[in-house]
Amino acid sequence: MSPLEEVARLRQEALERISTADSLASLKEFRVQYLGRKGRLTAILKGLKDLPVEQRKQVGAEANKCRVQLEQDFDVAERRFSEKSEAPLIDPTLPGTAQRVGAMHLTTQVIEEMCGIFYGMGFEIARGPDIETDYYNFSALNFPPDHPARDMQDTFFVEGDRLLRTHTTPVQIRELEKQKPPIKIITPGKCFRNEAICSRAHVAFHQVDGFLIDKGVTMADLKGCLVAFCKAFFGEGLKLKFRPSYFPFTEPSAEVDIQCFLCGGDGCAVCKRTGWLEILGCGMIDPAVLEMTGHDPEKYTGYAFGIGVERPAMLKYRIDDIRLFYNNDLRFLRQFV
Amino acid sequence: MRVSYKWLKELTGLDWSPDEMGERLTLSGTSCEYIESTARYMDNVVVGQVIELSAIEGADKIKKAVVDDGTERVDVVCGAPNVAAQQKIAFARVGARLVGDFVIKKAKIRGIESFGMICSERELGMSDDHSGIIVLDDDAPVGTPLVEHLDYDDFMLTFELTPNRPDSMSAIGIARDLAALASIKLRRPKFDLTEVATPASDSIKVSIDDPEACPRYAARIIKNVKIAPSPWWVRKRLLACGVRPVSNVVDITNLVMLECGHPLHAFDLDRFGSDEVVVRRAHDREKFSTLDGREHILDEQVLLITNGKSGVAAGGVMGGLNSEVEDDTTDILLEAAYFNPSVIRKSRRKLETVTESSSRFEKGADPNGIEYALNRAAQLMHELCGGKVHAGIVDCYPKRIEPRTIELRPARCNAVLGTNYLTERMKQILTDLELEVSCDDPLVVTVPTFRPDLEREIDLIEEVVRIEGFDSIEDSVTNIGPLFSRTLPEDQFAREARWVLTACGFDEMLDHGLGSSRVAKLFNPDLPQVRILNPVSEELDIMRNSLVPSALAAVSHNLAHRVLDLRLFELGKVYFAGSGDTDWREPDRLALTVSGNTPQGWRETARPFDFYDLTGALRRLVEHFRWPDFDFVPDKVSFLDDEISFRIKSEGRAVGWAGLIAPDQARTLGVKQPVLVAEIDLEGLIDTRKDRIKFEPLAVYPAAPRDLAILVDAAIPAGEIIECVRSAAGELAESVEVFDLYTGKQIERGKKSIALSINYRSRSGSLSTEQVEEIQRGVVAKLEQEFNAEIRDK
Ligand SMILES: [Zn+2]
Repeated sequence: MSPLEEVARLRQEALERISTADSLASLKEFRVQYLGRKGRLTAILKGLKDLPVEQRKQVGAEANKCRVQLEQDFDVAERRFSEKSEAPLIDPTLPGTAQRVGAMHLTTQVIEEMCGIFYGMGFEIARGPDIETDYYNFSALNFPPDHPARDMQDTFFVEGDRLLRTHTTPVQIRELEKQKPPIKIITPGKCFRNEAICSRAHVAFHQVDGFLIDKGVTMADLKGCLVAFCKAFFGEGLKLKFRPSYFPFTEPSAEVDIQCFLCGGDGCAVCKRTGWLEILGCGMIDPAVLEMTGHDPEKYTGYAFGIGVERPAMLKYRIDDIRLFYNNDLRFLRQFV
Repeated sequence: MRVSYKWLKELTGLDWSPDEMGERLTLSGTSCEYIESTARYMDNVVVGQVIELSAIEGADKIKKAVVDDGTERVDVVCGAPNVAAQQKIAFARVGARLVGDFVIKKAKIRGIESFGMICSERELGMSDDHSGIIVLDDDAPVGTPLVEHLDYDDFMLTFELTPNRPDSMSAIGIARDLAALASIKLRRPKFDLTEVATPASDSIKVSIDDPEACPRYAARIIKNVKIAPSPWWVRKRLLACGVRPVSNVVDITNLVMLECGHPLHAFDLDRFGSDEVVVRRAHDREKFSTLDGREHILDEQVLLITNGKSGVAAGGVMGGLNSEVEDDTTDILLEAAYFNPSVIRKSRRKLETVTESSSRFEKGADPNGIEYALNRAAQLMHELCGGKVHAGIVDCYPKRIEPRTIELRPARCNAVLGTNYLTERMKQILTDLELEVSCDDPLVVTVPTFRPDLEREIDLIEEVVRIEGFDSIEDSVTNIGPLFSRTLPEDQFAREARWVLTACGFDEMLDHGLGSSRVAKLFNPDLPQVRILNPVSEELDIMRNSLVPSALAAVSHNLAHRVLDLRLFELGKVYFAGSGDTDWREPDRLALTVSGNTPQGWRETARPFDFYDLTGALRRLVEHFRWPDFDFVPDKVSFLDDEISFRIKSEGRAVGWAGLIAPDQARTLGVKQPVLVAEIDLEGLIDTRKDRIKFEPLAVYPAAPRDLAILVDAAIPAGEIIECVRSAAGELAESVEVFDLYTGKQIERGKKSIALSINYRSRSGSLSTEQVEEIQRGVVAKLEQEFNAEIRDK
């Protein structure tokens, strides 16, 4: 029998004895037999030096492993018999071995959730640059030059005749230039507004815009899509209110309020006692936008919508300061782990 | 914009409550933001009379008044300059709740007990006028609630208007929508104009130099007016619309503007300076003082109303100081004009002001609403100011602006909306909105000039749906569009990178992307910057060119809040300007940041984060995305510490940097503890990687593990040692790993002990002990030869 096999057999035998022992005394005796100064395992360990180098290492490791295991098993078994129990072996109130994972940013999580819902409806993601031209951000979206509509969005201008996009809607134009209908796209991304930074406004925010262009797309389709989204994102059973509004790139345009999910519509501080929360803007894509990008508005119609990211997140988690989304305070970030 | 509820009731005859009006208007596109009672601060406020007034010793600004409030006489301390004995006044009893939720309590002022307050308009929430107390008519009955006496139980509806609807900037405009919602007829004010025989054209001539900018200028002459405060009904109406009453003539121009939306301007004819109006562009550097007392230096962008010589008004924006109506004015030149919206927009920008007038012209006034506005105001000046209206309008209107005609196909309307509206209903809605409709298919719609926003068929479709309400559209329940949605490689990459890095314990940070040119220059003096032309602050005046300043700002913020241990990553863009229209770049970057200590727990001991925490996470990414291994090449990066500064290379191409932020750089952002960062340019690294995995059949033959500890010069990189082992062992070395590294007391200075575990395995058969020993000897020999290695243990 090779020394390795010997170790294995010895372990087998000892384990069996431990499990069948019927008294503390017999256990103690077995322990001496195997692990005592003249014990059998001790003998193998002592005999290592006589083995060839190659074998010595391997056998030594195995024998030691065996010794550690047997010591533990004897401890456990002896405790079975001792009258007054000592401290329990396991303290389950201790936190388990730390598995420290990082937290994804709340903005990321909300964008992922929104995009996931739309992805399920067949939208695909498109992206565009943050630094845009006036053409994509305004003109192609039917903002007339020198029109008060441009005041609706405080714009940062950048050298080189560029600006920071004030919405992600420019991506709609870029895709309309590239693709043929049917086109069904969402455009998550960062937008910028030249506003003084305070608890309610920041220079940057995120938006998930979406649009669909095909033959026979109607406002009823738009409503259906947004109702489905709100159900998935905010929860079932909340009413939506579509109010006519104005965006240069859609007509008819609407703003959508959702029944306040915090008070169920009864009125609370968050919804300013109205029972409603304003969450998104939408509308049928203006024929001028289609024409400008070379699509025949008689043949195709489309809808578009734009949803803020931070605002719904603030409502959902009752966050009262938008600056928390950008100052990267670990006490904020770690809450969304 | 604010409108009086009673006024809307008068114009429509509707008995809807204020809430119902607000809600119905909101649901049809005129968003009612809030509704307030005009009398919300008038509970416990009554008509009182000042019985006697006496000085208070030691106080010259305040007096003691004895006020009769109809039930008792009380002492009241009053500081108003215009308070006088016998006056009838607005008296707030103890318990009244005034503006700012200020509740009147018994008070002791300068030793005098005071039981109430004599109120100004501001205290009662009527206006912001706080110059003196309200003095009521002498015959006001003492003790009557003030609301009742003033007939002031109205509501103010405040609307937030969209920029496309100039028509709703008036009571009539809003009433028109209400009428359409209720399908009733609008009750426009009726009046007969009383003129004297003398023609207005005897007093004034009008000419327009730039009919593009000012397509129409019309005027009326009203003489012998007597300037005085307006009667209460006018003031009350203005107050309920949030406009401060001034004097009868000015109040009338405001009232008519609020009623029909057309701005008017009254000049003092005697101060006008000539008998002709000339509308022209301002000359370059022409000086002009507006009636708010500001002096402007104009240019051609400003449209100037002149008397033929000099300016009397900045057309459509604000009148001039020189021709303003004053208390002694008797003769009025009343202007009603139509200006080109974009001219007014440029003009008011140049003058740096927005007025009620400019915001109406800028959105688009009604060029053909001028007669109504002039006649209505003239008649009121006759009735309320005793003026004589001279015959006729002096009108310069070179090219009449005609109503537009648009066709609406009922089928198209239903096709866009997904509805089944009847043609008859569409017709009715458009007619109720005071559009003229003829024919059936298509409907031929004549759009009056008060709706400049209705230009196309789609605009009419919107009118139909906003009156019918979005609730009339049934939500679709089927999904339409393409069958397949792709995922962008960069999105898939970002998603997986986040999984990997959060699993490594890194928290995701996110910056807005704006940065400070000063900080950017400090960190990367050679990198170009994209400047923002109108920054909110000096600290946010560029688009960032590196993620490092953002990372350091995050560290700084956390340290300031005593959060000292950080492991952060950011996936974000940096920005580089192009030349002209090309080469603008926004590459995606990844930054890793560590600072402070690793987490301390009952099983693990904290240690400071170090460079290897960065490279460990990077290695995990390399592994996950099957990228070629990164090489870290020592190289001085501007913002990194001299000792710990590396370029990251991937197959020889520089893709980023990693190292310790130079402490003096960190300190400029208030960071005093070591911060290590790595920044990777992801361009070229994001293409899809999973398909690079190639399955390897599982090994059949046993492995022969060997450990090897060597002592070498401390400067020799572990990577080179591993490479040496690999090349010596050939393909039989399945893996070579460092399992221990030691420098310190036990060994010679300048040396390090490095222990390697090598796993030998062959794919073609079992390796014998002799074979392994031979290879191992070769490895040892190579190590001794290459690195002068000393073998510690075989
Ligand atoms: Zn609520």
